[in-house]
Amino acid sequence: MPAIPTPTGFTLDETYTPEGEYRFQNSREAVRRLPFPFPDDEYMYSMNLEPHVPAGDGALRAAFDIDEHYVSECAHRAQMLRDMPGVHYLALPHMLEAQWDLLELIFESYNRDFPEHFTLTKNGNEWRWQNRLLGIDDSFTFGDPATLPMDPMEYATRQAQGEFVVLEERDNTLVIGAGMTTQRADYSLQFNLGMNFSEFHGPVPKLDKMGILDRALKFLLRMKPGHPVRRVNWSLTVNPRLETSVETLPDWAPDRAKVTAENAGEMVHLRIELQPLHRLPRSNAIVFPVRTYLVSLAELVEHAPDWAKRVHRALASLDHELADYKGFHRYHAAAVEWLSQHDDGAPLATGYPWYPDGIQPGNS
Amino acid sequence: MLITGIKSRPVYDELTPMASGLRHVAAAQGSGGEPLLRLLGEMDPAQLAATTVLYSIESFTGRNHLADLKKHQVRDLFVFPTNAEAVRGLDTVLATAQMGTRLYLSGSEGFIGTSMQVATSYGMNRDEVLREHAGSFVRRVWCAHCGHYSENVTRRVFQCPGCERNLVVRDHYSGRLAAFQGVKADGEVPGELPEDEELDT
Repeated sequence: MPAIPTPTGFTLDETYTPEGEYRFQNSREAVRRLPFPFPDDEYMYSMNLEPHVPAGDGALRAAFDIDEHYVSECAHRAQMLRDMPGVHYLALPHMLEAQWDLLELIFESYNRDFPEHFTLTKNGNEWRWQNRLLGIDDSFTFGDPATLPMDPMEYATRQAQGEFVVLEERDNTLVIGAGMTTQRADYSLQFNLGMNFSEFHGPVPKLDKMGILDRALKFLLRMKPGHPVRRVNWSLTVNPRLETSVETLPDWAPDRAKVTAENAGEMVHLRIELQPLHRLPRSNAIVFPVRTYLVSLAELVEHAPDWAKRVHRALASLDHELADYKGFHRYHAAAVEWLSQHDDGAPLATGYPWYPDGIQPGNS
Repeated sequence: MLITGIKSRPVYDELTPMASGLRHVAAAQGSGGEPLLRLLGEMDPAQLAATTVLYSIESFTGRNHLADLKKHQVRDLFVFPTNAEAVRGLDTVLATAQMGTRLYLSGSEGFIGTSMQVATSYGMNRDEVLREHAGSFVRRVWCAHCGHYSENVTRRVFQCPGCERNLVVRDHYSGRLAAFQGVKADGEVPGELPEDEELDT
């Protein structure tokens, strides 16, 4: 194996686990390029779908964003798959065509958006894939699984940031057919595999009442290849822990009881989810990626003070049922109290930061 | 608190003869004998002659409809002492089933769910299967931490026989696992349990 040259701009020795002592932090640049998910002082759950077109020079420039954590996040994925086989990656048998669709989408996007790191060379169905960040140079036959060391979806997503859930269209709904989910926010892939759209959204409070689910499903079913859409979502996570699945809840839930108004700045992390959905051309499946960004409240204050103020206001006015669903009921007040020291109440711009008039990170 | 605001549950049908069926397979358990009897009563003689009945006398509520089932002139009637054996029997019957077979399931959620797993493994579509719930709403629960399946769970909080953790039963059901989800009840603070309650009463 050739030695992997150390890429510049990437932090290689980060960890997302207690065993690794949560060795993780964001540079100032990494914070200020985040897809910050709070356009208003008051947060309201919504589908907020918009066309996934390049916007700004941050996380929304590429179809599938990578950042300084790419290498360490891929290493974390490999570790999670090794530690708990059959839990984080699953695919129903008939999903193979969608798997190849997804491999193509990810590799073509990386090749186009980050040519300095990735090269995809096609000669008919004979493909060569070079990933210079991970030291990979493989040739395989597109459509022939025997030419890859593992499932096409597993192969591609082991080299991608974020998690990926593939939904197949069946009987006018979308059914979970496959997933690479080493960064799950409190759900189980084993449990949810095979569920349809309304079934896997069952636990989300208020959604049905608001008619959001039906409208979202109708919208998604009209999606066409080449016209992706995106939304952002968020939660809070204690410590920079990516893997917060239902299965390992006994390992991470106790951390929620350790947060105080004094340590919330270091312990509480905003968990931003960028979700760029694509219709896949051959299988007609839809891929639902969840690109997760972790940033501590203290990092926000230091590098993006206006965003910290916005988070303070959104959390302070948050509906209790939503806080409960998102799992931070116990330390909600502590996080708000810590943030309140860093909010002078000055008016803030509205709109997402990737729009010209939207809220920018601010200057400290 | 881990469970407030979570609302989901399988939606059941009412058993009624499917006219499109060439062969009929009806599997029931305990109280599920009642909808099964109603179904057989609605069938014409030709449909009855093309119907295989599987019945498990295992019952959480103690209801047994076997004597009444025997009064119907069906093609076959197979009786099983336990639900697990009835589900295995269903597997054997479906293994040789032909196109045009229609399936009817009635009984507890656990029985219907595990029978559906078998039906799905033979590629049966939802429009070829009718399911009617009967009897108590005891639950089959999957432990998210050790993978153990507990049958006949009646309380919101119970101890997992597999890993001995206290589990809280979430109102979230997986057709693939044929079970509700059980997660550690005192995950955040040991000993701090959510309020216990009887399920679905």
